[in-house]
Amino acid sequence: MLCSAVVMLLTAWSGTGLWAMETADCLGCHNYADEVGEMNHVDEVKFMATAHAAMGCESCHAVTEEHPFDAETAAVVSSCEDCHVSIHETYSSSVHGDSARCVDCHNPHQAYAPVSLSGRQMNDSCDMCHPMTQMEEVHSRWLPETGIHLDAVPCVTCHSSSDDFAITLYLRHRDRPYTDYELASYAALQEQTGTENIASIIDADASGDISIDELNEFYADNGSHRMRLWAMMTPETVEHNFTTFDNRWDCTYCHAAGPENMQESYVALPQEDGTYRRLPLEKGATLNALFGTPDFYMVGATRSRTLDIIGFLIILGGFAMPIGHGTLRFLTRKNRRKDH
Amino acid sequence: MAMQERVYLTPTPVRIWHWLNALGFVTLIASGVQIRFPDYINIFGTYRAAVSLHHTAGIVVAVSFLLWLFYYAVIAKMLIKLYVPTAEDLKQGAVKQALYYFFYFFTGTRENPHHESPTNKFNPMQKGAYVVIMMVLVPLVIITGLILLNMQPLHNLLVAVGGVRVVAGVHFLLACALTAFIPTHFYLATLGHTPFAHFKPMWTGWEEHEDH
Ligand code: HEC
Ligand code: HEC
Ligand code: HEC
Ligand code: HEC
Ligand code: HEC
Ligand code: HEC
Ligand code: HEM
Repeated sequence: MLCSAVVMLLTAWSGTGLWAMETADCLGCHNYADEVGEMNHVDEVKFMATAHAAMGCESCHAVTEEHPFDAETAAVVSSCEDCHVSIHETYSSSVHGDSARCVDCHNPHQAYAPVSLSGRQMNDSCDMCHPMTQMEEVHSRWLPETGIHLDAVPCVTCHSSSDDFAITLYLRHRDRPYTDYELASYAALQEQTGTENIASIIDADASGDISIDELNEFYADNGSHRMRLWAMMTPETVEHNFTTFDNRWDCTYCHAAGPENMQESYVALPQEDGTYRRLPLEKGATLNALFGTPDFYMVGATRSRTLDIIGFLIILGGFAMPIGHGTLRFLTRKNRRKDH
Repeated sequence: MAMQERVYLTPTPVRIWHWLNALGFVTLIASGVQIRFPDYINIFGTYRAAVSLHHTAGIVVAVSFLLWLFYYAVIAKMLIKLYVPTAEDLKQGAVKQALYYFFYFFTGTRENPHHESPTNKFNPMQKGAYVVIMMVLVPLVIITGLILLNMQPLHNLLVAVGGVRVVAGVHFLLACALTAFIPTHFYLATLGHTPFAHFKPMWTGWEEHEDH
């Protein structure tokens, strides 16, 4: 991989002794906003959770030994495209390429894979230039239930060509009845569970995955409607060719996938560092008519086969009278012939 | 030749309601099938078209249902009288009627015990069926449909009744029951003294009685 070569180069470079300061030193100042100013604050916990942490500050920044008293601006020594070559190629040749830079959508100190982020976080990068209220208006011209769609489908699910999706369920809570549910934060969940291990709220047996029984228990425990799961259809990877794709016009791209397609699902839990950790959900949970995911129903795609069979039998029952009575009626037609 | 006696059986608002309703239901069933089984069935070209059509037909059916209710309950004041079976109906009438439909009808030895008149147009079996359809199933399918049409404004209600999955499931099963009603209903309507005797008053309002 090209970027590992760059990392090696930079590590060798910084190993010459010219720059003795290391990531831990940088963070000794930059983790504190009151020391470096809000603008220059780099949250240590969030940074250490990124893949960039392994490379250290020095792989992207060069500072002098006198920093910050050198009256010089610390240089950015490598840019995103040096390492993320193919993404850069895709992005710069896309229609969106001239509209935003990498750093408009990404904070390099808080850069995570899509699978470690909530759908809401993925939308945050678009919101700055495409505000949500305006997007609701634009999409409601053709998208039924626009509010629910934009709440359940991240922008990049429709506006990137990636086509590998999962159903990811997030915990939402509310304190009082008849208010809106909000995405539950790590702190809120910690308070509710009273432990560091917030997964215990849904993964009762601590097995690392979630069964339909555990889901049932979760809903039974939260029967006062305090907490529920909200589903989003999230991309596993994000191709950087952001535009409008014709097949996303077609509702059946999502709504006809057939019951097999919606099987891969997770419950994503917020972590202390602001990312999300996914726990796999038992197969079939999103299709279960009675148990499982009461707030997630994707019409046309997550129907329950059991209900289909019951419905079919009911309709069949409607033909019992015409067929049964009708046959006897035909056989006994002579009895009703009137000769007056 | 028998004498013909004509009775004005079905007033205009009821006829308008009925055929608007019948058309609405057929549309709802066709578009509903596509909405639930898009991977197998495509009747209206696009999914979006099926959804808009379903929404429109649903509103038409809901409005025409109110027309029906308003007419019978408020203007004609006959809703209870016509549709709700009396104790007598339940004790004897229904048995007599069933006996006729499932026995004497075949042997041809007895006449239909029920005779239509504007104030008593349904036999006890019809009453039973129509009251369940018109006062239980149709209102419920309309209510679940309206919830599904307004999920965001009604999200508290949605949560209170168990979530969108439950509402969608109930809506589907009710729709199946109403779909099952149509062939039965159609068939029973052909059991008049001629196969089309009951269809005519639904169209012209007038029923032609044979004089006995
Ligand atoms: C992957 C490359 C990369 C790494 C690793 C990295 N940075 Fe940055 N940093 C950047 C880029 C690019 C910018 C410029 C951002 C912009 O232009 O908005 C930046 C900007 C900054 C700024 C200016 C304020 C701001 O946020 O725009 C500070 C301070 C900073 N980095 C500190 C650090 C520290 C401290 C570390 C290590 C803990 C670090 N950076 C690690 C790429 C990186
Ligand atoms: C002694 C505390 C301290 C240490 C250690 C430190 N910085 Fe800074 N850094 C600052 C302060 C204060 C500023 C703001 C300077 C200003 O506004 O002129 C700053 C600014 C920056 C900036 C913004 C650009 C600029 O020069 O204004 C970058 C990038 C940066 N530091 C990177 C780093 C990196 C990388 C390291 C570790 C190799 C590091 N700093 C170590 C205190 C520190
Ligand atoms: C010195 C090389 C280097 C630079 C410069 C760099 N990255 Fe990365 N970045 C990596 C590596 C290595 C990973 C680990 C995952 C991978 O291989 O994609 C990574 C991961 C990421 C991820 C998370 C993806 C994941 O799978 O964890 C994002 C988002 C990201 N980078 C964005 C950026 C942005 C935006 C910039 C420019 C500000 C940038 N990177 C600059 C090397 C770099
Ligand atoms: C820095 C501002 C900025 C950010 C951030 C941004 N965009 Fe854009 N986007 C633009 C501009 C400018 C245009 C072109 C003008 C227009 O059509 O409004 C555009 C156009 C688009 C278009 C229409 C492209 C076409 O095919 O014509 C889509 C779709 C789009 N953006 C999606 C997104 C998504 C999804 C995100 C978040 C992942 C995002 N944008 C983030 C600025 C931005
Ligand atoms: C269900 C799929 C879907 C989702 C989710 C979605 N979009 Fe779109 N978007 C589309 C389609 C299809 C169009 C083209 C519609 C048109 O041209 O009228 C479009 C159009 C756009 C445009 C161009 C609008 C214009 O004025 O021509 C922008 C910008 C955009 N979307 C941004 C976003 C952002 C930001 C989000 C997330 C908040 C988002 N979209 C969510 C499917 C989607
Ligand atoms: C219009 C906004 C936008 C721009 C511009 C953008 N990205 Fe992204 N990128 C996203 C979103 C949204 C995701 C998915 C959420 C996440 O991982 O941050 C993403 C994901 C990524 C990932 C992880 C991809 C994966 O599938 O695991 C990397 C790496 C990345 N971006 C690098 C870049 C680089 C490098 C650039 C500049 C060439 C860039 N991005 C420009 C919005 C953008
Ligand atoms: C789709 C084809 C349909 C046909 C061909 C049809 C036919 C008929 C006929 C012939 C009658 C008169 C017989 C009688 O009085 O029992 C009738 C009456 C009635 N039908 Fe239908 N029908 C259809 C659909 C429906 C539907 C979908 C409903 C309700 C969900 C319905 C509800 C009723 C009711 C309540 C009456 C009695 C109306 C009154 O006179 O007050 N029908 N229908």
